[in-house]
Amino acid sequence: MRQVRIDCMYEACPIPLLKALKELEKMQVGDLLIIESDHSCSTINIVEWAKKQGHHVDYQEVGEGEWEIYIEKAR
Amino acid sequence: MDWYKKIVKEPWPYWVGGILIAMVNVVLFYFTGKPWAITTGFLYWGAGLLQIAGIDVTGWEYFQRSEYLEVAEKGFVSTHYTLLNTGIILGALLAVLMASQFKFKKLKNRKQFVVALIGGIIMGYSTRIAFGCNIGGFLSAIGSLSLHGWILGFSMLIGAWIGSKILFKYLI
Amino acid sequence: MSRVIEEAKKRAKLARKAKKNQVPYGLALLGVLAFIFVVLADRSSINALLWVLGILLGVVLQKCRFCFAAAFRDPVLVGSTSVMRGVIICLIITTIGFGLVQYMLMFPQGFEEIPPENIPGRVRPVGFHTIIGGVLFGIGMVVAGGCASGTLMRIGEGYLMQLVVLVGFIIGTLWGAWDYPLWDNLFIQYSPVIYLPYYFGFKGTVVGQVIFLLLIYYLAYLYDKKNSIMAKL
Repeated sequence: MRQVRIDCMYEACPIPLLKALKELEKMQVGDLLIIESDHSCSTINIVEWAKKQGHHVDYQEVGEGEWEIYIEKAR
Repeated sequence: MDWYKKIVKEPWPYWVGGILIAMVNVVLFYFTGKPWAITTGFLYWGAGLLQIAGIDVTGWEYFQRSEYLEVAEKGFVSTHYTLLNTGIILGALLAVLMASQFKFKKLKNRKQFVVALIGGIIMGYSTRIAFGCNIGGFLSAIGSLSLHGWILGFSMLIGAWIGSKILFKYLI
Repeated sequence: MSRVIEEAKKRAKLARKAKKNQVPYGLALLGVLAFIFVVLADRSSINALLWVLGILLGVVLQKCRFCFAAAFRDPVLVGSTSVMRGVIICLIITTIGFGLVQYMLMFPQGFEEIPPENIPGRVRPVGFHTIIGGVLFGIGMVVAGGCASGTLMRIGEGYLMQLVVLVGFIIGTLWGAWDYPLWDNLFIQYSPVIYLPYYFGFKGTVVGQVIFLLLIYYLAYLYDKKNSIMAKL
């Protein structure tokens, strides 16, 4: 099980989502993708997208205006 | 206190926003006679700055139209738009501070600066020919039962599609 | 919930630096906003109202992460219409509310007796300039990471980038105003104002538009479901 971390700090909408999309494609089932983002939309749009694609996803705040989004590739 | 945390910290669902924004817009329209619009305020700020810099724009054909003449004659000081637009900025700031989610986000690189500036200029220019932005030209226009709001909306959809292609190809 | 994610979350939580509480700053800001309100209310109740409504809009936009750019972009980019559906709900309530306001403001003559340029609300000529303007705005907002309302909201969130976008907006609107005669000569002067009640009557338009919006809402919902793997299971 690989763990990949992508830093999307200081990026504008919708860059975090697009980076997550691209990275997840390259990963295997069971791998974990961690996205670091300070963009308030990304906790919603990335999480929603990942759920719709059937992956396990969760997020938490790790700082003021900073979040980590965890996606485990499930399919 | 858990429900308090939910309201203050967690994001609200989109439909809540949709309803609240609409209600505010209706109140605004009723009491001021003018529905919500944003970019005209930017134009006034710009024209006002030019006036201060000594460049007279009151002679421009654009400002001869009735809705602009009044503000132009006052040196482009528009309390209506300035209060609204500044209020929006500070309201958003208030919301993030109360959730302890404020973070100053600097520019990442030069490319971001250029893209932001060009994107802003394109948007600004388009609002003058389309008679508004996503709020004044689309939201308030459709609410006002004017066809131009619908056409603008569909055109923005097409533009967003093109913009996404550009984004994906060049900006990732 | 996946064990892998649970563990990752725990590790991140342990590594976290202490949480800073920004609420005191928020309360201080609230105090300033309230003070300004009082100063404004003393001279003009309309100005005080504008101040409150602006702040309300800012709060709601931020808390909902309400972004029109996302509404137009996400269906194409990731097949999601959740933001767009929020916008449609907004349009429905706005239609009903504005219908009432317009009716009241045009009472008792009614819209037929009023010249198009004096109809209360945002009623403007529609033509090629609308399409060109809309496409340009669409490109601009996706590329700049936000629309007009989104830009203001994000300045409040602390984005320096959106301040740059605002400067761009100011330059762009001035340039557009300067170029306006060009567009007027080409398209705008030949373009009609199409106030829908001219064709469908006032009540007919309001009711019809709401029904049409509900239909689009349903289509958007179906489109979203189609792009969701989970829905198919």
